[in-house]
Amino acid sequence: MATEKPERFDQVDWNDLSRSGRFDLSVNALGMLATAIPLVLLGLYEWQFLGRRTATFEFVGLERNLETIDYFFVFTLLLFVWFLVLPLLQNPRMTRYYWEEFKRNRPAVVSLVWLGIVFVGGLLGPLLVSAPQQDLLVAYQPPVFTSVVDTTPATCVGEVIEGRCHGTWQHPFGTTQGGKDVFTMIIYGMTVTMQIAFITTTIVAAIGISFGTLSAYAGGWVDEVMMRFVDIILSFPTFLMFLLILYIYGAGLGMFIVVFSILGWGGTARYVRSKSLSISEEEFIQASRISGASTYRVIRGHVVPNVASSIITQLTLLIPGFLLAEAQLAFLGIGDSSVPSWGQLISAGRSDLSFAPWIVLAPGIVLFLTILAFNFLGDALLDALNPEAEAENG
Amino acid sequence: MTEPLLSVRDLKKHYPIRKGVFNRQVGAARAVDGISFDIAPGETLGLVGESGCGKSTAASSVIRLEEPTAGEVVFNGNGREGAARTPDGTHPNDVTRFDDDELKAFRRGAQMIFQDPSSSFDPRMSVGNAVGELLKVHGMSDRHRRRAIVEDLLERVGLSANDFDRYPHEFSGGQKQRIALARALVLNPDLIIADEPVSALDVSIQAEILSLIDDLQEEFGLSLLFISHDMSVIRQICDRVAVMYLGEIVEIGPVEGIFSDPQHPYTEALLSSIPTPDPRASVGGIELKGTVPSPTNPPSGCRFHTRCHKVIQPEGVDVDQDDWRGLLNFRDSVVAGEIDVEQVRENVAAGETAPAESEVRAELRREFDIGETVDDPDLERTLSEAIGLLLQDDDERAGEILSNAITTPCAQTEPARTVHGPDHESACLRHEGRASAEPNPADD
Repeated sequence: MATEKPERFDQVDWNDLSRSGRFDLSVNALGMLATAIPLVLLGLYEWQFLGRRTATFEFVGLERNLETIDYFFVFTLLLFVWFLVLPLLQNPRMTRYYWEEFKRNRPAVVSLVWLGIVFVGGLLGPLLVSAPQQDLLVAYQPPVFTSVVDTTPATCVGEVIEGRCHGTWQHPFGTTQGGKDVFTMIIYGMTVTMQIAFITTTIVAAIGISFGTLSAYAGGWVDEVMMRFVDIILSFPTFLMFLLILYIYGAGLGMFIVVFSILGWGGTARYVRSKSLSISEEEFIQASRISGASTYRVIRGHVVPNVASSIITQLTLLIPGFLLAEAQLAFLGIGDSSVPSWGQLISAGRSDLSFAPWIVLAPGIVLFLTILAFNFLGDALLDALNPEAEAENG
Repeated sequence: MTEPLLSVRDLKKHYPIRKGVFNRQVGAARAVDGISFDIAPGETLGLVGESGCGKSTAASSVIRLEEPTAGEVVFNGNGREGAARTPDGTHPNDVTRFDDDELKAFRRGAQMIFQDPSSSFDPRMSVGNAVGELLKVHGMSDRHRRRAIVEDLLERVGLSANDFDRYPHEFSGGQKQRIALARALVLNPDLIIADEPVSALDVSIQAEILSLIDDLQEEFGLSLLFISHDMSVIRQICDRVAVMYLGEIVEIGPVEGIFSDPQHPYTEALLSSIPTPDPRASVGGIELKGTVPSPTNPPSGCRFHTRCHKVIQPEGVDVDQDDWRGLLNFRDSVVAGEIDVEQVRENVAAGETAPAESEVRAELRREFDIGETVDDPDLERTLSEAIGLLLQDDDERAGEILSNAITTPCAQTEPARTVHGPDHESACLRHEGRASAEPNPADD
């Protein structure tokens, strides 16, 4: 009979069921595991069996090498796909609702498109475009549609009309003093930007959310101690700390990301704590507790998702800070000059500003637009994900 | 006598009040202060009272959403029927003593519906998953099976199976309350505690939800603890009613008994607040003055005596009941130092020069609904003297003589429960002398 008609709630024999279903993994968790395990194995393989100079993918005949930071980047991308993109696809109704709310904000839609370009460019660019090569013969080429005095570039790639060298599509954004193509360098800089954005966000979110919810739920003196620790983190001079580490160990991009995100989660933790406190007063949390769910399940299933949607905004607004910090350090000449970031490019063009401004302007404008886009996006997400507005409309 | 499904005995929930550097406990808010009631299988018990009287705290203590301070909640459903007390006096089915596993099993036997439909669902979870979550928590890992059960249940509460994937913001308040009902039902409990389930809804929708609750209760033999401040809703759905005032149950009995023959003045006042369709009907009009006193420092004796319109006059005194109430209020205000004579003078003067003393006296009496003269000559003299002292700014002395002269037994003796009919009890001193209720009649 049970096979014919749908089962009714009052026909379930609970004593049969009570002990089953302990390891009930969601599709998302399974996907994450299935993709993260090969990544970890690959990392272990490189670490244990390959020499420092051997490219990671030499066993399949590829030249490409993966740095430690690339592993972290891929890992955060996997998290992004399985726990942000896939859930959006799994819940089309909610996605459509958010999208309707989001697209009311025109600048934010444009920003999203721009960030999409930076994301795809950063992800695929380095695979499609070969790294910029030093070629002193083509140094100081002007961008396309512009011209400079003939004497500025070593040899002019484009036409020379009336003593002025005109830019070509071969170097749409011109070249640097070393003859490197600025456009290619900007594309490589997109990768760095995305690495900073994704890895810092992941670290800050992971520490901030766990610290904040733990503090909110522990209460009492544990809460007190944890929040005073947050005060310390917030007042910690990150820049000086970074300088110190730099002088002792030297600092690449990885070190920058680690230092700045490990000292940058204080505000997030505080926000998460207050948000979890207010959410845990809601009736749906009581309803969940009364269902017999464990505290862990209540936090994982209800508190964190509801906190997450509001801290996405906060995190989005945190990214520009990291990007700017990186650019500033690069501009000051602190940091690894071999990292092809926009900041390094700006820094490299600094001395040529008077006669070759495009070396500074092109990455500067791109950086400016990206930071602006993150800010617009953050604002629009705040409106789109605001649960109070939902309740009032509903 | 059949075994009740739920038997609450002397349940207390006190919230400690802490102060100072060392968080020392300086007092307690006695939100629920020793309530007892039984619910038989399939029965609906209403719990009624005004805001702040501890109804909701009682509910969350019974279902152990909050840990009760003291008392016993014996739950005999969920296959735990017929258990006997252990020799040390504890009951094996006492919810307040359940360990984690027993508590989780108890969740399958008792569920709750909340007051505010807009906040009782996670805005980021589809309603189907919200209902199905309970099945998942209790070990049903088969997603399709959960979905089938929930879809069937959604149809039962008057929604469609397609609503499974919709989100709370896509439903109206009434629909959400239907879903809340589905969520409470999905584990097939024996008892549902409904905490003001319809008070946030329109009247027309209230009726729909109430009849749905009624139907489901009949079909699945549910017991219901129905909390409300609305007597007309209670009359519609309940078999028995418990009237709560300031953490205590003042009257309990069958609905017909309570509505036709209320024994406690507080119940009378609540009943008089039901609007009647007949505008000329003389019922009603009992107005309770003031607010519910603070549960941190409840009044002595009968807790209702500070607002009761039938407060007892001491032996040898026989004045108009309104005057008596007014005298008591006047005494309390004077003792509390709340009367500002200057203010009264200004009100009377209304811009003119200093008013005559007699006018001020009359105004004070009017303010406290005391007649021009009180029937009892002794009391009248005391009152005049007190007002005189008050006008001379001697508040302390005025309070003293009023406190000495105006006393009521209600403030001194705690009323015991008296029996008025089958299963109908109340706690009011006016009924003292009748056969008092034997302690815990249902506790055989």
